[in-house]
Formats: sequence, structure tokens, C-alpha cells
Amino acid sequence: MSGVVQGGWGFVAAAYLVTAAVLGGYATSVFLRWRSERSRAATEAGRDTTT
Amino acid sequence: MTKTSAQSRTPQALIAAGIALLLAGSFWGLFKAPGEIFMGDVQRIMYVHVPTAWNAMLALTFAFVCAVAFLLTNAWKWDNRLEAAMEMGVVLSLLLCMQGAIWAKPTWGVWWDWDPRLTTTAVMVFAFGGILALRNAVDDPVKRAVWSSVACIVAFADVPIVYFSVKWWNSLHQAQSTPESVSKAFHWPLRINALGILFLWTGLVALRARVAALRLRSEIAPPLPERPRAAADAPAPGGAS
Repeated sequence: MSGVVQGGWGFVAAAYLVTAAVLGGYATSVFLRWRSERSRAATEAGRDTTT
Repeated sequence: MTKTSAQSRTPQALIAAGIALLLAGSFWGLFKAPGEIFMGDVQRIMYVHVPTAWNAMLALTFAFVCAVAFLLTNAWKWDNRLEAAMEMGVVLSLLLCMQGAIWAKPTWGVWWDWDPRLTTTAVMVFAFGGILALRNAVDDPVKRAVWSSVACIVAFADVPIVYFSVKWWNSLHQAQSTPESVSKAFHWPLRINALGILFLWTGLVALRARVAALRLRSEIAPPLPERPRAAADAPAPGGAS
């Protein structure tokens, strides 16, 4: 035994994939919420001017 | 014509820069930087784990600043930023725990250990996650803003405890990574990823704060004017009286 952790690329790949999934997922959710709130605000502004 | 802050594309530019830096730093860390003498290739997890830890604490520190600023100024922009920064801080802290568990298994032999650093980090996640849940449960915007600001200030007491836990107590977790404690060969991928996550979260917090501002505007907007009384009382066409 050399005292060095052998292999481990599976764990490295898992850590980077989890990072990409969490950050990518959260970024997507923020963009979707931003788009939906913006269109809702535009709809409400349009309704206000017609009443 | 100048663009208003709500139209500015700065957050998108920050997010794009953050992604580019993260890709460059991760490529360097995975394929260019040398392996560590004891941990071998598993140590490459450090290039995402350590920058995530720094930025999680930074995001929660920004949330604390926003909470104090809201209580001092009563300006809604600070409440919007507080909501955004706390959410980002919780996401980064959860990610930190996941990356740490993946690194712990091959090096410690366990996914999780109730060691001081990990325990205080878990407390941090649950404290700030609880405040976000509290925000969703309160309908009154004023009460929601004041309560969550106060709760954020109280919960923030755990953040320096997380940072110093490895110094104050006998911890299985290694001490803080500093330029003195990390080999020079590992510096650049670590710095590039740290900057990448910093750009990414500042852009996301700016965009998320806009979402909070739009929601708040619809919450506190005056109701639509009522229809004239006569028109409202008139029977609907074809309806039974």
C-alpha cells in the first residue's frame, strides 16, 4: 500500500456533475421566474391602462 | 436613452462571465493541475468545494448586510436583495454539503460525520432555509421584511462559527485553505473557480432581486378601480333575478 488514495475519478466526476446540476438548475429556475414575473407585470400594466 | 436598472443586462453578463470562468477553472483543475501527494486525483474536488464554501459564506454575509441595511433604511430594495442573497446562500451551502460528502467518502470512509465544521454548516443551512420558509408563510410584506431581517441577523451568528470551527475545536475537517496552506500548483484553478462562482452568484442575486421586486410591486399595488355602482348592480344579461 502506498498511502495514496487510489482511483477516485468517479467521485471527482460526481462532485463536478452535482455542482453543474445544482448551479445550472438554480440559474434556470431564476431565469424562468424572472421571465414569468416580467410578463405578469407587463400584463398587469396593460390591464391598468385599459381600465 | 438610458436603460433603467430593471432593463440592464449586467446580471446576464455576470452570469455568462461566471460560467466561462468556471469552465476554464474546472478544465485546469481536472486536466492540467497535478494530483495531490496523499489524496491523488480525489483532491481535484477541492477546485469546486473550496470556492463554493467561500462564496456560500460571502452570499450569507451579503444577506446579513442587506438585513441590517433594511432595518436602518426601510428601503424595499434591501429586502429584495436579502431574499435573493439568502436563497443563493442556502443553495451554495447545500451544494457545499453534497460536494463535501462526495469528497469525504473516499478520504474519511464515511459520507457524513457530526464533526464541528459539518455540524455548524448543517445548522447554517437549516437556519437560513427556515428563514426562507418563514418568508413564504407571512403574507404581510412589512412584517415579512422585518421578521426575516431580524432572523437573518440572528442566524448569521453561525457563519463565523462555521469558519472558525476548525480552529476552535478538534475537527476531522482540514483547516481553512489559504495561499500558505495550499501548494502554488493548485492556486490558479482555485482562484479562477472562486471568481467564476462569485460572478455567477452576484448575477443570479441581482436577477433574483428583480423577481422579488416585481412580486412585491404586485403585492403592494393598489387594487384595480371598482366598476361603477350601477353597472355592478345591473343583472347579468340573460341571468335569473
